[in-house]
Parts: sequence; C-alpha cells; structure tokens
Amino acid sequence: MEQKDQLFKQIFDTNSKKIFHLCYGYTGDEDSANDLLQETFLKVWQNLDKFRNKSLISTWIYRIAVNTCLTYLRSEKRQAKDELTDNIIENRPEEFSEKNEQIALLYKSISKLEENDRLIITMVLDELPYNEIAEISGISEGNLRVKIHRIKLKLTELYNQHARI
Amino acid sequence: MQEFDHIQSLWQSHSVEVKISSDEMLSQAKKEVTSIRTRSLFNIFGMALSFAAIVALLLFSPFNSWTTQTGLIIIIISVAISTLILYKDYRIIRQNDFTEHPSAFLSRLKIYQLNKFTIYNKLYWFYATALSLGFIFYFYEVLNNLSPAFQIGIIAFTIFWMALCATILRRAYLKREKERLDLLIEKFERISEQFNERQ
Repeated sequence: MEQKDQLFKQIFDTNSKKIFHLCYGYTGDEDSANDLLQETFLKVWQNLDKFRNKSLISTWIYRIAVNTCLTYLRSEKRQAKDELTDNIIENRPEEFSEKNEQIALLYKSISKLEENDRLIITMVLDELPYNEIAEISGISEGNLRVKIHRIKLKLTELYNQHARI
Repeated sequence: MQEFDHIQSLWQSHSVEVKISSDEMLSQAKKEVTSIRTRSLFNIFGMALSFAAIVALLLFSPFNSWTTQTGLIIIIISVAISTLILYKDYRIIRQNDFTEHPSAFLSRLKIYQLNKFTIYNKLYWFYATALSLGFIFYFYEVLNNLSPAFQIGIIAFTIFWMALCATILRRAYLKREKERLDLLIEKFERISEQFNERQ
C-alpha cells in the first residue's frame, strides 16, 4: 500500500499541472478545472493496478482526463462557457493587464470550439506528440492531422474575431 | 491579425497553479463516504441511548399500573427493532473501502439507499404506530395525577411532535439523504462507466 501511495504521489506531481491546464482550457473555470483534476486523479488512484504499461502513463492519464471532461460537462449541465471565461478577467482585477486580457480572449475563443476540438487543441497547445493525441482521442493519426489543421484555423479566426471587438 | 504560434506562446505563458496535493485529494474523497458512515453511526447511537434510558425508566421507576409497563415494553421493543434495522443497514456501507473496491462499494451504496428509503417510508409507519400505542398505555397512569390542563398539554405536544416527525422532518431527512447518496452514486457510476468503456 505504501508503495502504491508513493507511486501515486510521483505520478500526481509529474502530471497534475498539465492535466489541470487541460481541464482549465476545457472549462475556462478554475473551480470546475479543480473538480475535474480531482476526479481524474481519483480514477487514476483507483485503477492504478489495472494499468498495464501498454501506453505511456501520461497518455493513460490524459485519456482519463479527456473522458472525465466530456462526461462532466454533460452530466453537470454547466453554465455556458463564455460566461465562465469572462470571470477570468472579472475575478482578478488586480492582475488586469494586456496579457491577461489576451489570455482571457484565448480561453473565450477555445470555449467556442466543439467539446472534442477543445480538448484536442489544448493538447496541441501543450505540444503533445500527434501519435499520443491520436491514441488519447481515439482518432487515426491521418485524420487527426487534418482535424488539427482545421481546429487551428478555427481557433485563430475566433481569437482574431474576439480581439477586434 | 495573430497567427497560431502567438496563440500557442500565450497558452504556454499562462502558468496554472494546482492547489491540491495528492494526500489532500485522496482524503477529501474518502471524507465523503466517512461522513455518511458517521451520520449512520450517530443515528444508531442515539437510538441505543433512548433504548437504555427507557429500560432504566422501566426498571427503576415505581410504576403501579400494568398499562405503564406494557406501554414502556412496547416502546422498548420498537426502539430495539429499529436500532437493529439501522445497524444492519450500517453494516452494508461499513465493510467496503471504496478506494479499494469501487464496484463493490457502489452496489452496496445502492442497497443502502434502497434500504434507507424502505425504512423511512414503509417501516416508519409500523414504528410510529407502535410508539403511539406505547405512549397511550404509558400516559394512562403517568398523567393520571396531573391537572387536566397538563394532561391536555402533554398529549397535544406528543401528538404534535409525532406528526411533525412523520411529515415535515421525515420528508426533509429523506430528501437530503437521497440527494447526498444520489450525488455519491452518480460520481462512482461515472468512474465505473468510464473504465468499462475505455479499458
């Protein structure tokens, strides 16, 4: 048991930040992202014994996180994401700056994407290798490349649209 | 006009802070289950205490009428049966650690919820009827020496209290308990379903 706890802590320390960023990108809200992070790692802890090293542990965790994100929003019927992302600026007036505004715009633009696209693009933004993203999202690498190209264009367009307003 | 590279550098420059440690996260998840267990245990403890108090009353108070003793015995039996049912129910969730065996724990949690519903719906009325009968017998001697105003006051309060427990308090308790358990079950189901789908 002690060994499992140690392993879990190590896994958590190595992966939690990236997973939190993925959840944050998906929800645009810190509290929801925190809930999702907790649920993801609870699943990791519960199923650690079942992990058979067929893929990288980070890929496995990402896959859990992606599923958790998709089920979470559907079941919780969360409020519209654009409302949440507006909070990024409103909740932190002391940190208001041009850069923070750009970041808020980025999250707002991501929130306008389809649910699956949102998750894929956050992994791209985090520079995950394409083969790993393909494994996590269950799409063939060829199709994924096309999809990523389309999402990149869409996100850039959305970001520029919001920046002009 | 910004390019995707700019968006990517913006994303990477936004540093996020994870505010929870692995220890905290795990203990928090365990706490949810522990609180249900603790509430159930408090419930049993309260009933056991009532049982002991009424038995002491029967043994050490100088009652003359058989009706008082009959009344107290009926109340003692009702409380004892209810306590045993609650204990049996508590054992369902006591045995499993959900972090070790999530599926087994989930099915036990569902049984626990169903039992709770049965206890506070069907069995409650047997319990309330037995208690009322016990009180009628008990009051027959005990209230005899009091003034009519006191007699009416005590009887009215007892009826009011039992009616309150049977209606508003019972419904509120059931609703709150159902919401708590539903939330917990939903959470574990999400966990189990996901692993069935993707493993």
